Amino acid sequence: MYYPEPISKLVDSFTKLPGIGPKTAVRLAFFVLSMEEDDVLEFGKALVNAKRELTHCSNCGHITDKDPCNICTDPNRDNTLICVVQDPKDVIAMEKMKDFQGRYHVLNGAISPMDGIGPEDINVTSLIERLKDEEVEELILATNPTVEGEATAMYISRLVRPSGIRTTRIAHGLPVGGDLEYADEVTLSKALEGRRDL
Amino acid sequence: MYIEELSLVNYRNYDRLTIHFDHKVNVILGENAQGKTNLMEAIYVLGFTKSHRTPRDKELIQWDAEYGKIKGRVFKKNRSLPLEVIFSSKGKKAKFNHIEQKRLSDYIGSLNIVMFAPEDLNLVKGSPQERRRFIDMEIGQIEPVYIYHLNQYQKILKQRNALLKDLQRRRTKDTTMLQIYTEQLAEHGAAILFRRFRFLKKLREWAVPIHLQISRDQENLKIDYLSKVDVSESMDMEKMRDTYLTEFNRKEESEIERGTTLIGPHRDDLVFTVNDRNVQHFGSQGQQRTTALSLKLAEIELIYQEVGDYPVLLLDDVLSELDDYRQSHLLNAIQGKVQTFVTTTNIDGIAHETIREAEIFTIHEGKLVENNGLDR
Ligand SMILES: Nc1ncnc2c1ncn2[C@@H]1O[C@H](COP(=O)(O)OP(=O)(O)OP(=O)(O)O)[C@@H](O)[C@H]1O
Ligand SMILES: [Mg+2]
Ligand SMILES: [Zn+2]
Repeated sequence: MYYPEPISKLVDSFTKLPGIGPKTAVRLAFFVLSMEEDDVLEFGKALVNAKRELTHCSNCGHITDKDPCNICTDPNRDNTLICVVQDPKDVIAMEKMKDFQGRYHVLNGAISPMDGIGPEDINVTSLIERLKDEEVEELILATNPTVEGEATAMYISRLVRPSGIRTTRIAHGLPVGGDLEYADEVTLSKALEGRRDL
Repeated sequence: MYIEELSLVNYRNYDRLTIHFDHKVNVILGENAQGKTNLMEAIYVLGFTKSHRTPRDKELIQWDAEYGKIKGRVFKKNRSLPLEVIFSSKGKKAKFNHIEQKRLSDYIGSLNIVMFAPEDLNLVKGSPQERRRFIDMEIGQIEPVYIYHLNQYQKILKQRNALLKDLQRRRTKDTTMLQIYTEQLAEHGAAILFRRFRFLKKLREWAVPIHLQISRDQENLKIDYLSKVDVSESMDMEKMRDTYLTEFNRKEESEIERGTTLIGPHRDDLVFTVNDRNVQHFGSQGQQRTTALSLKLAEIELIYQEVGDYPVLLLDDVLSELDDYRQSHLLNAIQGKVQTFVTTTNIDGIAHETIREAEIFTIHEGKLVENNGLDR
């Protein structure tokens, strides 16, 4: 199908978003054409600003508009506890629950040799640095319950072991998502066990 | 257990189809390429949520359709239960008693199936992969947790092999990750191996006497598990894991040199022996077929023993491949107790009384054109 070039470019941009196929991209592109010009400008600015004004916190790796981030600078949080997660999304999810009062460390990835991601490609070095400086007593390894997340948690626990800091693995419970997952009673029992020492 | 009703929507060459089955023998009659195998496949997919023919779920959806659906009613343990599997571009969903099952292991086992197709006659002669697939499918439907271990094992194996390649090409030197993958692989590997041994022990108890009977007391079948690692049936799971760990340690250098995992259940095989001769290498075609038939019949009995109900049997094009003697042995063995589906292009090819009592469904271009048998 031949669309005028500006539309083609827009369609192409939409398909770069996760979960958007060619059909949806075309629908979205034509919807943009029907929007008020002000709204379109606002939308474009929001996109650019989100990218430009957000950076990763140099201490914990979470996304933030000021460095260090609000969580790292919050004086009321428990310094002895760090929760290690794969993704900034996980921090946001944990914060919604409001139960956790410690600090975070965001790896921004998980070790996966298949995808060419080794330990040096995720945010581990800065974690080890933090452990030297801060008075941490326990690391909660809350990486995803996938093979990659599990292996990453084991890697970190091995790295930390000589320091004597306690590492625990959080139970994620059941896998979520629409597709049939190959999980089972084992995952369930893991969830029930709660945190376990690694 | 038996299937009372099956309906298809946009499945392969079927637009819409609803069939009520007989709980004994159902013959699916039709010319070539009319949809007989598709119908068998649909029943198989209802049990396993996967096809026996293709790993790509998309192929099951009718060309140009957005989604495809298989619904069935299974009668077991005095209850009639609805099952449903839906495929779309977003993936698949499986429902048991109207409730979506997120975990495959909660769904598998709802409908037990044994399929016997011409490819299965190759079980003895074919590649080790085919024999591994055979035991994996059978253990999986009796003991769904096995599927979880297999799946984890495959994922860890892929990562481990990728890392071994990196180490081989000196892209990394750190072996900490290798140790981690090794431990994980040994853990799941042992869980797989332990269940395979346990399954084989039970399978033998059925297959050996059945084989003896089909061969008119002439052939003594033996089934052995072949592994590069020194493991045995008498070990417990922990011992198996430790054996793997020791062996992985010993092989570390050569694994790095070769850039791949050299041991584990993914490299194991089954060996069939008849009267002390390896059937794969020295067996006649007849002996190989008898072995395959004995295994399938043993499977049916084993499922009954483990699950408390007979599975549904799918015979796709296989009866015509068996001689009259083996054909009637098969049909006698299942007569009256196992719901069976038989495909054929010509009913005269089957010379057994059960066929005369069977319900016959004639299929033409993805439609049911005739249903002669006991009308309900
Ligand atoms: N996704 C699909 N959508 C529509 N038609 C399909 C699809 N996949 C396969 N078919 C058609 O289904 C037919 C094959 O059906 P099937 O394999 O069930 O034949 P059969 O009756 O078993 O034949 P045979 O006797 O040769 O084994 C072919 O005509 C093929 O084109
Ligand atoms: Mg066919
Ligand atoms: Zn921070």
